[in-house]
Amino acid sequence: MSTLKNIPVVSHEKPSGGTGNLLANVFDELMAFCRSRSLFMLHYCTGCGAIELPPAMTSRFDMERLGIQPMVTPRQADILLVTGYVSTKTLKRIILTYEQMNSPKYVIGICSCTVNGGMYWQSYATAKKLNDYLPVDMYIAGCMPRPEAVIHGLRELMENIKKGESDNWRDYYRRYDHYLGNQQRLFGENWQTPTDIIGEARHYDLMGPETLGPHTALLEQHQTPLKPFEMTLGLADLPVRKDEPR
Amino acid sequence: MRPENYQSVNHPPSNEFELFFGPNHPGIEGNYALKVRVNGDEVTSARADGGYLHRGFEKLMEGRLWIQNIALVPRICVPDPVPMEVCYSLAIEELGGIEVPERAQWIRVMQLELSRIAAHLFTFGGHAATTGMYTPMFWGIADRDLILDLFEELSGGRVYHIFNIPGGVRRDLPPGYLDRVSKTLDYIESRLPDYDNLLFTNKVFVHRATGVGVLNQEQALEWAVTGPNLRATGLDFDVRRDDPYLVYDQIEFDVPVEQAGDAWARALVRRSELKESLRILRQVVAKLPSVGGPIRAPIPNPLAWNLPAGDVYTRVESSKGELAYYVVSNGGDKPYRVHVRGPSAMHAVQVLENLVTGARIEDVAQIMFSLDACPPEVDR
Repeated sequence: MSTLKNIPVVSHEKPSGGTGNLLANVFDELMAFCRSRSLFMLHYCTGCGAIELPPAMTSRFDMERLGIQPMVTPRQADILLVTGYVSTKTLKRIILTYEQMNSPKYVIGICSCTVNGGMYWQSYATAKKLNDYLPVDMYIAGCMPRPEAVIHGLRELMENIKKGESDNWRDYYRRYDHYLGNQQRLFGENWQTPTDIIGEARHYDLMGPETLGPHTALLEQHQTPLKPFEMTLGLADLPVRKDEPR
Repeated sequence: MRPENYQSVNHPPSNEFELFFGPNHPGIEGNYALKVRVNGDEVTSARADGGYLHRGFEKLMEGRLWIQNIALVPRICVPDPVPMEVCYSLAIEELGGIEVPERAQWIRVMQLELSRIAAHLFTFGGHAATTGMYTPMFWGIADRDLILDLFEELSGGRVYHIFNIPGGVRRDLPPGYLDRVSKTLDYIESRLPDYDNLLFTNKVFVHRATGVGVLNQEQALEWAVTGPNLRATGLDFDVRRDDPYLVYDQIEFDVPVEQAGDAWARALVRRSELKESLRILRQVVAKLPSVGGPIRAPIPNPLAWNLPAGDVYTRVESSKGELAYYVVSNGGDKPYRVHVRGPSAMHAVQVLENLVTGARIEDVAQIMFSLDACPPEVDR
């Protein structure tokens, strides 16, 4: 799979494309500005880089003045901060979390370990390049990066969002086969997530030339079809109060 | 589209439900998880689910040179990295028969105690935040940063210093460094009454922490509890005093002990330990100018350094408990086997599972933070 085709290419689609009506472009720019100014960061400490986040978030470096706040649930978060090395077990959770987040979403890889494995390059337990499994918008290198570096990286991301250049989340839909292939190579060929990425790509018109491929075919072969979830309460067996009418 | 761990499981009908406490949860300390079965508010059983941070340290260390491992070991415990370096260096020095100069030993003690203060301030913040008080967290992290500044001046790194190497320390103290250390100590000492007012005598904290996660002395010894958690159960044991390493036998300090064994006692022990660390540091600052001599014993070329065959067990008192290294050498330039005896592996697995069972769901986070477990060290 190490062909040139698999190197991710960031497609820059500026909101002020020139076509379409002017009002829509202005509105898009305004939206991008607002979006860059209120970022919620998922509260998930994946590795050792998480130790520099409390100083960055609290009184000394104070990330909140930039409009960045930690958020506890993935569904309301915009940024997934991958702070440091990801072991195989964590990577599964990161992918599940990432797929639950609402678009537009951004991934930041903090520490050298997310770039190329860092000092665990020979470890049997960690995933080496985060970019193989998730589309990364920004890398902040260092072991570990200082809070200033983290804030600088987040400011760069804000600029990119404002200019409309940070849209790697589309890449995950357009090149899902590539990412899924790498995930399958690590987790085994029956790897599947509860999120229907292909269905979402169809729904939001984000299908690309590499959304479907051999790996998604393998996924369809292995996946158990979604069934409507029925909640059954074994009321007859539950211990209930005796005076309560059945 | 469900992976195998998302298959719905048919439990027998009951009033209980299973709650996944972590890894993405603000109440959990780091990347760690607990699977908790809850009946109403009460936890009926708990299962620790680690392995999210496993990197295979003990295997990685077998593939690197003795000196290369110095850069690897501080990553084992992120909030308190200095004891890792020192303990590993002590092991190599014992294997290689290297005598550490006295000045290097005093500098090491200074770093160890600074690191302990930083780790305890961080823990206060976390423990307070789990009881709903966020101001101590902000204070603790801000005050901890002053110590990180000292470390940065000394070694260039805020969190990982890699300053202790076999034979001594990397370089001498910068001019005027001890003055800045004592200034920081003065500041932290002047903050202690504020911490008392805000946290340790706060009614909310006292009521929330008293009687939560009670551990008696027998259980503590059976479950291999060490460090402040053991001293909170009334056992007076501290490696620094009872099996002294470096120059701890020349330093006067008390070992704080509490009897109750609950979360409140554990917090109090840490608070008293912070004060003792300040006392130790004052003695170190007073003593260091009079200790001259080299800061590093000569070691052979570290890239072709074959340590004599043998095995060695060294232990130090880290802020989390007793930390030990068992290092085996077969006469090569790399370790044959390294075993890390970290304190958190016991605190976060068997102790946490047992203490959480029977507790209320809102106290789970508090029990974990009061045990001060360090997830990267649990998984290693």
